[in-house]
Amino acid sequence: MNTSRLLGLLLLLGAGNLQADKPVFTISIRDHLFYPAELEVPANQKIKLFIVNEDPTPEEFESYELNREKVIPGGSKTVIFVGPLKPGVYPFFGEFNMSTAQGKLIAR
Amino acid sequence: MLLDIVVIVLRETLEASILIGVLLCVSRTSQLGFSWLWPALVFGAAGAFIYAINLAGISELFDYAGQEIINAGLQLAIYGLLAAIIGIQFSAPASGRLSLKVLMAVAVAIAVTREGSELFVFYSGFLQSGDSLLTATTSGFIGLAVGMSAGALVYYSLAGQKMPLLRTLYTIVLALVAGGMMLQATGLLIQADWLSAGHPVWDTNSLLPEASVPGQVVYAVFGYEATPSQQEVIVYLVSILLIVGVVAIMKVRADRSHPNAKV
Repeated sequence: MNTSRLLGLLLLLGAGNLQADKPVFTISIRDHLFYPAELEVPANQKIKLFIVNEDPTPEEFESYELNREKVIPGGSKTVIFVGPLKPGVYPFFGEFNMSTAQGKLIAR
Repeated sequence: MLLDIVVIVLRETLEASILIGVLLCVSRTSQLGFSWLWPALVFGAAGAFIYAINLAGISELFDYAGQEIINAGLQLAIYGLLAAIIGIQFSAPASGRLSLKVLMAVAVAIAVTREGSELFVFYSGFLQSGDSLLTATTSGFIGLAVGMSAGALVYYSLAGQKMPLLRTLYTIVLALVAGGMMLQATGLLIQADWLSAGHPVWDTNSLLPEASVPGQVVYAVFGYEATPSQQEVIVYLVSILLIVGVVAIMKVRADRSHPNAKV
């Protein structure tokens, strides 16, 4: 996703959204892989993950370290709030395609 | 992949299966029979299917928090139903037999709806991708069978006990399951940013890793969370205390209405 589209998305999400103050990070799912698979995020504040499942098949975003679990139907988008995180590495995975769908958040 | 599917299906089955196992014990001691279970399973499966096919639309509700809000609502409902079921167990004898059946059936139907919808969504992926549905289904049946065995194990190990102890045991299990529901619901509301949360108050991953098999089992059954937030801990404790309060009130009332009966 290029910068202008991301900015547009941010504006769109920000409109009328009480949670607009939280930084937004977008993760795409394509061919059962996360893009980006490694994402640097700010520590000690709640952040908003905007997850776009570009695959036609469903996926379940899951992370024990982040205490998160959410089904994302094929071809749909979703939001998961995460944190505040202490600095560190937080792996996440796609439960429906565990062999490939692996990623991590790096909180700094 | 095969083992992955077994684990996925097992995880989604375990919670409902153990809940059913305990409720069948309640049903047996109250001499209510098991007939209420079948409509509960049918309604649960139908609910799961409807939820699953509408999941994409539901997810977009409330600014993409639809899944969290609805699941938290379902878990809150199960908590209320379990608290009522526990309350009836300690109320004056012969009261609320029909309502007990209805409460148990609705609790099971909701539990099956919530967990089953994820399974329907999971299997819909195989239909779309053209991957081996047969392998997935076979693996799924193994997961389902193991999950159901866990429920049966709970049922038979409880059913072997004598009455005052039996009621104490299933009340404790039901209270812990109910508390776990509230803990998970709180986690979902934090995930949806409807509740704020700070850093985890403790980390028991070194004692019982959440990703381990026993960790997953206690997560599925009691909502175990290795790194809970303060909000989750408070909600969990209050939820359990409320049930203890319900039991205490019911016992006092039953003792008053039947001063000579040992309830």
